[in-house]
Amino acid sequence: MFVLAIGLCSFAQTSLKGRVIDEATQLPVVGAKITLANQNISTSTNQEGLFTLLYLEAMDEEVLIEKEGFMPELELINLRENEENVMDDIVMKQDIVNQAQDEILLNLTEEEMTDDEGRSQSQASSSSASTDVFNSNTSFAWSTARYRNRGYQSNAENYYIEGLNFSSQERGQFNYSAMGGLNDASRYKEVLNPMEATNFTFGGIAQSTNYLMGASRYAQGWKVGAAGTNRNYKARVNATYSSGVMANGWAVTAQLAYRFSPYIDNKGIIGEGIKYYSLGYFLTAEKIWDNARLKLITFGAPTERGQNAAVTQEVYDLTGSNNYNPYWGYQDGKVRNSRIVKSYDPTVIAAYERMIDDKQRFKVAAGYHYSWYSNSALTFYNAPDPRPDYYRNLPSAMWDGQIANPNNAGSADQLFDANGKHYPWGLFIGEDMNGKSYGSGFIGHDGNLVGPSIDEAQYNALVDLWKNRDNLTTQIDWNNIYAANYANNAVDPEGSARYILERRHNDIQEANAMFNYVNEQYDHLKMTLGVEGKYSQGIHYKTIDDLLGGNQWIDIDAFADRDIKELASNSGFTQSDIAYVIQNDLYNRNQKIHKNERFGYDYRINMAKANVWFQNEWTFNEVDFYYALALNYTSMQRFSKMFNGRQAYLATLGYKSGTMWKYLGNNIDQYPIDPDQDQGLHKTFYGNAHHFLDPSFKVGATYKINGRNRLKLNALAETRAPYARDAYISQRVHDRVVESIYVHDKAKNLKQFYASSEKVVSADLTYEFNYPIVRGRITGFFTQSWDGTELNGYYDDESRTFVNQAMTGIDKRYMGIEAAAAVKLGTYFTLTGVTSVGDYRYTSDAIAVQSAENGMPMSQDEVTKGLILETTDKVLLKGMRLSTGPQVNASLKLSFFHPKMWFADVTVSYHDWNFLSVAPSRRMQGLYTGTRIDGTHVNGSFNDEFANAVMTTDNKVSEATIDIDPESPTYGQATYSANTVLDANGVPVLKYPYNIMTEQESLAATNPMNRFLIDMSVGKLIYLPNRQSVSINLSVTNLTNNTHFKTGGYQQARLPRGVRQGEKDYHNSVITANAWKYPSKYYYAWGVNFFLTVTYKF
Amino acid sequence: MRKSIYAYAMMLALPVIVLMTSCEPRGLTAEDVILSEESQLAEMLDAENPEGYKIYNINDLLDTFMTEPGNFMSDSSRYRTRSYYNGLYLFSIDTFPKGGPGIYIRARVATDDYGGNFYKSMVLQQVNDWSQEGYPEIDQQCLRVSLDMGSAGGMFHQGQEMIIRCNGLAIGRYANQPQLCIPTNNNNIYAGSAEEKTGWAPGRITSGQFRNAAHMIGMPDVSKLVYDDISMVVLTANYIKKYSNVVAARKADGRLIRIRDVHFNGKYDEMNSGPTPCNHYKADSTDLGNPETDKNACTFGPTTGNVGYPQSRFVADKTNKYQVLISTSEYARYAYYYLPAEKYVGSITGVLGYYMDNGNYAPDGGEWSITPCSMADILPECQAEGADPRWEPVEWKLGVPQPEDE
Repeated sequence: MFVLAIGLCSFAQTSLKGRVIDEATQLPVVGAKITLANQNISTSTNQEGLFTLLYLEAMDEEVLIEKEGFMPELELINLRENEENVMDDIVMKQDIVNQAQDEILLNLTEEEMTDDEGRSQSQASSSSASTDVFNSNTSFAWSTARYRNRGYQSNAENYYIEGLNFSSQERGQFNYSAMGGLNDASRYKEVLNPMEATNFTFGGIAQSTNYLMGASRYAQGWKVGAAGTNRNYKARVNATYSSGVMANGWAVTAQLAYRFSPYIDNKGIIGEGIKYYSLGYFLTAEKIWDNARLKLITFGAPTERGQNAAVTQEVYDLTGSNNYNPYWGYQDGKVRNSRIVKSYDPTVIAAYERMIDDKQRFKVAAGYHYSWYSNSALTFYNAPDPRPDYYRNLPSAMWDGQIANPNNAGSADQLFDANGKHYPWGLFIGEDMNGKSYGSGFIGHDGNLVGPSIDEAQYNALVDLWKNRDNLTTQIDWNNIYAANYANNAVDPEGSARYILERRHNDIQEANAMFNYVNEQYDHLKMTLGVEGKYSQGIHYKTIDDLLGGNQWIDIDAFADRDIKELASNSGFTQSDIAYVIQNDLYNRNQKIHKNERFGYDYRINMAKANVWFQNEWTFNEVDFYYALALNYTSMQRFSKMFNGRQAYLATLGYKSGTMWKYLGNNIDQYPIDPDQDQGLHKTFYGNAHHFLDPSFKVGATYKINGRNRLKLNALAETRAPYARDAYISQRVHDRVVESIYVHDKAKNLKQFYASSEKVVSADLTYEFNYPIVRGRITGFFTQSWDGTELNGYYDDESRTFVNQAMTGIDKRYMGIEAAAAVKLGTYFTLTGVTSVGDYRYTSDAIAVQSAENGMPMSQDEVTKGLILETTDKVLLKGMRLSTGPQVNASLKLSFFHPKMWFADVTVSYHDWNFLSVAPSRRMQGLYTGTRIDGTHVNGSFNDEFANAVMTTDNKVSEATIDIDPESPTYGQATYSANTVLDANGVPVLKYPYNIMTEQESLAATNPMNRFLIDMSVGKLIYLPNRQSVSINLSVTNLTNNTHFKTGGYQQARLPRGVRQGEKDYHNSVITANAWKYPSKYYYAWGVNFFLTVTYKF
Repeated sequence: MRKSIYAYAMMLALPVIVLMTSCEPRGLTAEDVILSEESQLAEMLDAENPEGYKIYNINDLLDTFMTEPGNFMSDSSRYRTRSYYNGLYLFSIDTFPKGGPGIYIRARVATDDYGGNFYKSMVLQQVNDWSQEGYPEIDQQCLRVSLDMGSAGGMFHQGQEMIIRCNGLAIGRYANQPQLCIPTNNNNIYAGSAEEKTGWAPGRITSGQFRNAAHMIGMPDVSKLVYDDISMVVLTANYIKKYSNVVAARKADGRLIRIRDVHFNGKYDEMNSGPTPCNHYKADSTDLGNPETDKNACTFGPTTGNVGYPQSRFVADKTNKYQVLISTSEYARYAYYYLPAEKYVGSITGVLGYYMDNGNYAPDGGEWSITPCSMADILPECQAEGADPRWEPVEWKLGVPQPEDE
């Protein structure tokens, strides 16, 4: 429906005209936003820097002039009634501090791109909007702390270029590496605050950003610059040329930016073991006619850069540095990093805008984008794990088995007493790794009561290797890796290399188009109609980067090969029966793979998206309001160019249960296959296609209390189809999707149709104020989502294989307050205070289905001995905080500006309520009850007699009953005996040290002073003759070198387990008391770091 | 105009810089990473040992550094509890000095862990150039290494010659089996009879320590491994008898043995009854012979109920008078394969050992066993193409009765 409205035309005589120019170049500033503060009217400058505002009220008015890259200007004017009021030229000053910060921010977000394993620290929100006090003062200042607007994941934000959607359809994120280093290309953008009305897209619950890359936006002339930093890259040079609008109506702008750092061979400093090379190019041409313009844009930034990783606190402590990087080692005496990202995102865009008349315009655009993104990693076959930070290589591994369970009956007998008397159980620990005492002491090396029951000399020997950063212990041992392969060549020249450097490719190609029509023919009403279409194809495969001296790699799954004995004995098949399970391509068994050849997996996901939306914005003297509706179509279909043994095996297992087709997709008619007959076959196997239709509705109103104060209310309700990343349970292996999508596919009613879509409602209320001395806003927001989906994969020690976990029914709530105020302190200083206090958490438990990637049974029925291939359980997430950055943030910024073009600012920020991502595998309800919601027994739980970890009021065993009837309204609900101690969310409280395994850890530093970060910057703009200028800016982040500031991390999924002797496999596992065996991994903020830029314009 | 030319030139030069600067270190050759010349070895040893060094034969190393009570603890009763037997310590630890002159052994890896029958351990065999005139003149010297490195055989292959610096490590006996190790405390409270098994004992050398201690020399060459190639008669009547006391047994432990003309007789070792026929799997309701549940099944390594000790099955010579145990872990890849029928006669290769962890029982020689690395070490003649009779290993399968002749 497209609403039309008819209003009476009115005639107004009062108007305002003016021109905006750049102080440095004296050239017109194009696209500057001109706002009359008292009348809530705004417009933008044209190619000549001119603007006109009509139909004004005569009054004393404040004219606010804003433009990215420039400092905002405020001019006072008396609008005379029924006259054409003409302002003197408005001169804008470049904001070199903001420009530098934008560049730093762009670099930061690019480096934190999610890696191929889907794990990275939280990306900082990157968009800044100079027109909003809150956004412009948080996006950079809080980026170090990984602040995210309103706690939303990065996939909630929408990114556009010239109106074309460029957020990935697989993961929902924007690929910043496409614009790596191209600070000018990404300079101009419009940022839509959550849910507000806009003209380039429908928007969503989070910010939407539209990069504007028309050539005419750039000032004529050359700009060359250089930058130095101690971050991951060390230097950048760039050059930009813009022709300005030429006589023939064309404007051309080009930029090249080169960022580089050789390998950093200096342990302990930022970027150790990392190299960085990136060349960005940007070319845009624009043809301008009287009523139309055509933009042609292309850009890309081939980049090659090393990576680093989160590690455990033990490793940080041992190495004495937050900059320790386990990914590199010495080869031939030179640094080599095993994780090299290669990315290149060539993009082409064509956009055409036309003014049909004064009241109507439209825009069409089309683009194509191919993203090469790959990451290298060491992989190995039947050889020692090459990771230096593998837990067995750390001193703490010596403690494993040495930590007593204080909850066992008779634990007092597990100690040596002060006289060294040896008690039969022989558990010698006197204190745990947190220093908490378990008893009076323990016997050490020399028989004295001095230390834990590990040999101090050996422990210290390994500690010393770590503390001294021994190359063979703390870094990748490239020499021995090569040696292992050469030795293997001698032993088995036709065999598989023991180590290779593989490259995991996650490419995506996208073609997109949009149409946007705006109609302002009717008084008070602005109507916008938008249509967007996008086709994407995710392309995933592996190649060999380096055989590391090996002759070839045999294409089998190394982990399945390791598990095959157990897989066979657990499944009732022989090893021979399931020998094919290890094959990555059944039609090309044991294929020999050489450098640059594909192996492992080779699949694609086709994704289509289309939406149509309209929006009506009504504007009146006191009230503005809008409403908008969108309809989104999404589809996805996976297809594979290889048919692996796990897929075939799982299909075989699924034959009886009727789930065979889920693994095989559209290939079910081809099954059973006969690989022996068809060896050498290369064909494509198509999975099932899934289609979704999701509506979205938003509405908002602005009440103008007076010219300086206003209230805004926005609300949105929508459903969202799952991203492909969250839809496929194990997309590298087979076609199966989460069950709710199958329910959706076969839906017979509306509830089933939306079974797999996340439902979202959101609202915010803003009070804005704008006075000559102070301006700012305060916003309260609330968002609730239901039925979200998440996927996890981890090594499960209970079933002793790699497990995929599909969680559905996840509900989340985001609510909080944002506030910002900028106060002018005299002529030179401005004080800006910003705060955001939020509460972002899960509001429900989730239902999780676990299945082994290789088909290994998850459990065994104790009575029937039947194999259980999937288990279903509740994940106790309710009340857990979301790990999307700090939820309490505040900063105070003092800015200085001198008319001689000196800039400086100091920002003090405080961040708190930052929480570690919890591992759902550690919060399965069955671990607390001993029984899953599907009725299966948990092999080793917190609640069994060996852990005895569930806290009770009477020190007796806690008991629980589970409703395992799927039809019951209380399905999955656990009822605990009265003696069980429950927390606020109804989850049993665990005794020490087991509570450490499941509790959500705060990332906030223990010492409150370490929750502060201080940044500063200083800059100078020097005007030279002939419209030349030089600008210099120095930004220093984390000025006080706060090395205690954790920015993120994750809880490892594995639980410490031991095996009880003499028990059946389905009843032999015990959760041991070593809560520190698989500790959490953390990211820390960099210590003091700087970014120095020098730019020369001519 | 000139400025524009300069700027254009700079922009064009940038891609060239990218291409020239982003590269990895050169690939390493075998010569780069594996010592191939004696002179290289001498150079490395000189560099590692400013105070000098000595390369010991394995036996010399044991004689020099391994004492009866061990030097690790003043109160040796705190070694693993079952350790003491007639004044001889079945478990002991002697630490090597951390500093001082280098203490080395030069040996060849004798085992492979891919088959799953060796786990986080390997056996080293003294590199020698002595005459191999035949038993008993061959002075084969072997030493176990306990190593906290999964799949170490993928890096240190069978047949690989190595030189290992022992400083800072320990030499000890675990169940009377000498091994290069570090001291650790066994604390498995979930073990059966845990109270008898906890305490200080030789433990696994950490990966970091071993990487610093060990260097490869040349390419692996399995053909250079030396085997005590003997008959069952010699093994049982002469060889084992010679070493069947607690101290002498240490010198025989770890030797590579190849016994010829033997067959499996389908028996396991019942502690009080001697060789006892194993249980055939009939796939009936009793589950008898099911290796998942019956530790006496007729497979190489049926379950131990997650206790983890190696399972043993007898092989005998044609007289059936002389027998020795073949030891297989339940985690070995071939653990659930049926034993070959008696008609299959051939050789078996493996590591000789005597796991003497219990001071309550006198060593009478009956507990020696041979541990193959993989099924390829078992009756290889019968597995070969054209063998008569040809043994084609059959794997146990739930619900499928054991073949009659297996």
